[in-house]
Amino acid sequence: MERKAFMSDMIRTELEDVVGVENVSAQDSERLAYGVDYFWIGRMWADRGNTPPMPDWIVRPASSEEVSRLLTIANYYRLPVQIWGGGSGSQGGALPMAGGVMLDMKRMDRLIEIDEVSRTITAEAGMIFQRLEWFANEKGYSCQHIPSCLTCGTIGGALAHRGIGIMSTRYGKIDDQCLSMEVVLPNGEIIYTLPVPKHAAGPDLNQIFIGSEGTLGVITKATFKLFEQPETRQFRAFLFPDMHSGFMAGRDIMQKLKPSILRFFDEAETMSIIRSILGFEKQGCFMNLALEGIGRIVDIEMELVLDICRRWGGEDLGSEYGEKWYKNRITFFYPGHIMDIPQMFGTMDTVATYQNIEEIYWAMKHAVEDNFPGVRFIAHCSHWYEWGTMIYDRFIMDHPPQDPEEAIRLHNQIWNAGVRAAMAHGGVINDHHGIGLKLGRLMKEQYGPAMQVMQGLKKSLDPNGIMNPYKLGL
Amino acid sequence: MFTEKAKKHADACRFCWMCRHLCPVQLATGKETNTPRAKGLLVSMFNRGLPMDEGAARIMYECLLCGACTDDCVTGFEPPLFIREARMKAVAEGVAPAYATKLIDTLVETGNLYGAKEVRAHLDGVPETGDTLVWLGATARYSTPEVADALLSILKKAGVDFAVLKDEPPSGGALGDLTGYIEDVRVQARQAAEAIARTGARRLIVLDSYDAALFLHEYRDWGVTLPETVTATAFVDGLIREGKLTPRKEALTVTYHDGSRLARDLDEHRPARDILAAMGCAVVEMFQNRRLARCCGSAVMGRALPQLHARIARGRWEDAQRTGANVLVAACPQSTEALAATVPQGYTYQDLFVMLDGRV
Repeated sequence: MERKAFMSDMIRTELEDVVGVENVSAQDSERLAYGVDYFWIGRMWADRGNTPPMPDWIVRPASSEEVSRLLTIANYYRLPVQIWGGGSGSQGGALPMAGGVMLDMKRMDRLIEIDEVSRTITAEAGMIFQRLEWFANEKGYSCQHIPSCLTCGTIGGALAHRGIGIMSTRYGKIDDQCLSMEVVLPNGEIIYTLPVPKHAAGPDLNQIFIGSEGTLGVITKATFKLFEQPETRQFRAFLFPDMHSGFMAGRDIMQKLKPSILRFFDEAETMSIIRSILGFEKQGCFMNLALEGIGRIVDIEMELVLDICRRWGGEDLGSEYGEKWYKNRITFFYPGHIMDIPQMFGTMDTVATYQNIEEIYWAMKHAVEDNFPGVRFIAHCSHWYEWGTMIYDRFIMDHPPQDPEEAIRLHNQIWNAGVRAAMAHGGVINDHHGIGLKLGRLMKEQYGPAMQVMQGLKKSLDPNGIMNPYKLGL
Repeated sequence: MFTEKAKKHADACRFCWMCRHLCPVQLATGKETNTPRAKGLLVSMFNRGLPMDEGAARIMYECLLCGACTDDCVTGFEPPLFIREARMKAVAEGVAPAYATKLIDTLVETGNLYGAKEVRAHLDGVPETGDTLVWLGATARYSTPEVADALLSILKKAGVDFAVLKDEPPSGGALGDLTGYIEDVRVQARQAAEAIARTGARRLIVLDSYDAALFLHEYRDWGVTLPETVTATAFVDGLIREGKLTPRKEALTVTYHDGSRLARDLDEHRPARDILAAMGCAVVEMFQNRRLARCCGSAVMGRALPQLHARIARGRWEDAQRTGANVLVAACPQSTEALAATVPQGYTYQDLFVMLDGRV
């Protein structure tokens, strides 16, 4: 429906009535800031001097009640609603591709409660995750959700795209760490998931909204586990002769132990990024891990790790490289260290069982390198489970086409090839960056008839389709 | 009109999200445009042909230039560099916010942000020439004179002979914050240095940490020569160490706010804490302390955007409140101006020099 004449001003008045005049903006220079997130296409588009996608209004709510009233208004006028936390998502999940309302959630950044008896922490979803971690640290705890975007993204963002941190192998993904949430449904109703450790009261509502990328409602509050800080954290690095031996060593470690960090790099990444940051020169597949907890237990666990790695031909590199990696774990993501425009790049992370993972690695590598000249492929595995692991596959093209439209087509072709190779061999469309705008087109291929479950939820909760259009394939 | 260096830094910052959690303005407002990344994005767009309008200029003035972002950057990019140049562009193109233009006019007319003609610090009988010159800075002279008076009283009690300029010229700091480092700022710097030289001073004690950072960094970069320059905190700490001052010890639990210029630009963390220890105070640290400290405000922001300034200061008070201490201490007149105006119920603000003066 087209808005004519002064209709936009009439709507703006209603939005201002909810959050205050100072918390609504339609100013061009503000709108521009919401048109570029971490998604490569958005960045390239702006870099080439094009106008980014812009919302019509930026609205900054301060409470769940305000979010509720805003969604009621948006539903009445059929306004697209996008939700912006830190804007650091790599999948274009927050981009205002349909204009409308951009809910910038960062005014909702209050700490609500630290329950030291239950060991939980509750905060509003607009809080930058690093600040939640600092609140936990002030009391001697940690949330142990430590992604590379810890300082960039919000609580809501981490939940919406089903994020993960570097300590996930021991402490879980965000969907393991989040205990309960407050969510504002598209119709304005405020609902709560059950605030208990586990239950048998039907499906877990948390898992409906975690990963929903703003398509089913707005996450406004969340409660997370708190962990005691470990008494010790010990690092060890190894060099494996090939991918297979590393995968098998990782599997055997996971069958017996729970390292907090377990990262395994293919030869290409070992010889590029690991070499440049850690100064490691040998050829092979680099692995570093950390064991943590009570010192006496960790000592025994480390003996078992050494046994397992020795059995699979891993050369013990001692603790130095692992410590150095940990110290530099965020350095990798600063400008000058991470891939950046004018390069074209993307992270096609996937996850699978140990039965399939090695085949997926080779299939994706071939799909990308054999079909797209000038494109490099590097990979590492950074989140492990008892029965499988993920691969953080990245492609890099140093000299992509200058023409933006040609670049977009090539970018999407590379993604299609890589992700389809993963799915064809037992992997999934994504491990921990989400779907967003980038991969929505592949969701039906991933789920087949199961997609109707998500479509049903969408239709039921958001019948007017206002929530984050064009995202998640919904 | 951006320098190549500023363009390079803006292009690096436009797609980097790493430091946003530290920006005290962003934390106070929750606005995306109050992040270094958004400002870098806009500057990169200006360099690609986007005209700077008044809205964009306003965004560039919503920054304390506190350096938390720069300090966090592993690769050494500096958002304040391109933000200052964006302000320069805003002024040159006539799109700077009215409050900024008014402040610039006030500075040019009176030499200070406050538009004050008469110094409020008590300088009667203080000589204007001598080996040691105390530089008070505009905030202590016109807004928080009790801090200036306390420092001068402490120095007298320690037997230090010192001079103070009755007509202390502007350092150039405030003008540089409002217009970027244009030639007029360097002119002010040279004039300040000449005024200092005329006193015959061989040592300069600087009370305002913003001026201290400017003297020790930018002045040197610009080739402006000053006598040996020391912060007031470091100097007074030295007096205690040398036994020239013996503070009365009174047990008190406090938390200490590291001013951004002292903590980050000058890497000075110890002297203020040592002075507190010498007074018998136990310091409970805020989580964000030393180089990580959250800026509480600045004189420029206080005059330009007073409501935002107060919100930023209240943010720092929240950090202080979580320590359990109910006394907050800081050692810079500009911090005192911000924090003393926003004291929560049940809490007390103490300027370090005022506190010490009461105990020696």
